[in-house]
Amino acid sequence: MARAEDKGWSPYLAGALTGVVSTLSVWFVGQYFGASTSFVRFAGALEKLFAPERVQSLEYFVKTPPVIDWQWMFVVGILLGSLIASTTSRSFEWKAVPDMWKRRFGPSISKRAFAAFIGGAIAIFGARLADG
Amino acid sequence: MKMLIYGLITGILFGFLLQKGRVLRYDKQMGALRLMDMTIVKFMLSAVLVGMVGVYLLKDMGLAKLSIKPTILGAVVLGSLIFGVGWGVLGYCPGTQAGALGEGRWDALWGILGMILGAAIFAEFYPALKATVYTWGNFGKITLPEVLGVSHWVVIPVFVVASLALFWWFEKKGL
Repeated sequence: MARAEDKGWSPYLAGALTGVVSTLSVWFVGQYFGASTSFVRFAGALEKLFAPERVQSLEYFVKTPPVIDWQWMFVVGILLGSLIASTTSRSFEWKAVPDMWKRRFGPSISKRAFAAFIGGAIAIFGARLADG
Repeated sequence: MKMLIYGLITGILFGFLLQKGRVLRYDKQMGALRLMDMTIVKFMLSAVLVGMVGVYLLKDMGLAKLSIKPTILGAVVLGSLIFGVGWGVLGYCPGTQAGALGEGRWDALWGILGMILGAAIFAEFYPALKATVYTWGNFGKITLPEVLGVSHWVVIPVFVVASLALFWWFEKKGL
């Protein structure tokens, strides 16, 4: 249910401020925003636990080694920033199934989990292929 | 170490703004894909406009370098088509799903786990893709001003005006 106080900021304002933050990041740190490379690093780190030779033999993991870097911390920061913004504005809400999904596919948590998992695997494959 | 702290702080600012802009939620993401709610497009395009002007100013002053990815038609076209299918099913983006989790929409966790698996699968396919898709239509690191043979300060105002016209149209249509 949408709550009365759950309004947020204008997307134009929040977007423009994001543009300012991204410009400052390029200026002072030389880093452009990105996220999908971090999933490669995470996957490499996990796979290394049970198949270290496999990780070492794959060119893609050599090119993108499983280390924690600027972008990895950036993705963690996104989670924290959203947590701060939502809990301080009472728009934080534990939700297992989104409203629009529920209206179309019902309230099943496992159905949503299955689709989100498969969708995520497909999405990152495409994102990596396009180098996005 | 310093880089990691910069990454964390930048991420916190970005996550804060994403949440305030209300662009993290499944309903908003699907609203954009279903052409019902353009909130995300407004947010993204506003960020692009400001970032585009800011970064090119920095470049002209010699304070920053552009980060240009190669234009490989095979990889970009095929990759974006695959990404679109996954995005439509998941309803979150790679970076923003961390933010969705941050505001309690914990179905994003399944997407994060799926992406870790998908990245591992991609690493397995990479050698085969490199020999095929990555060789199809490779134009190298090109930019629009270079291709058109004009200054970037010709392209940027056109892009800004076109975006503002699009915003005006969104507001007129109540999207």
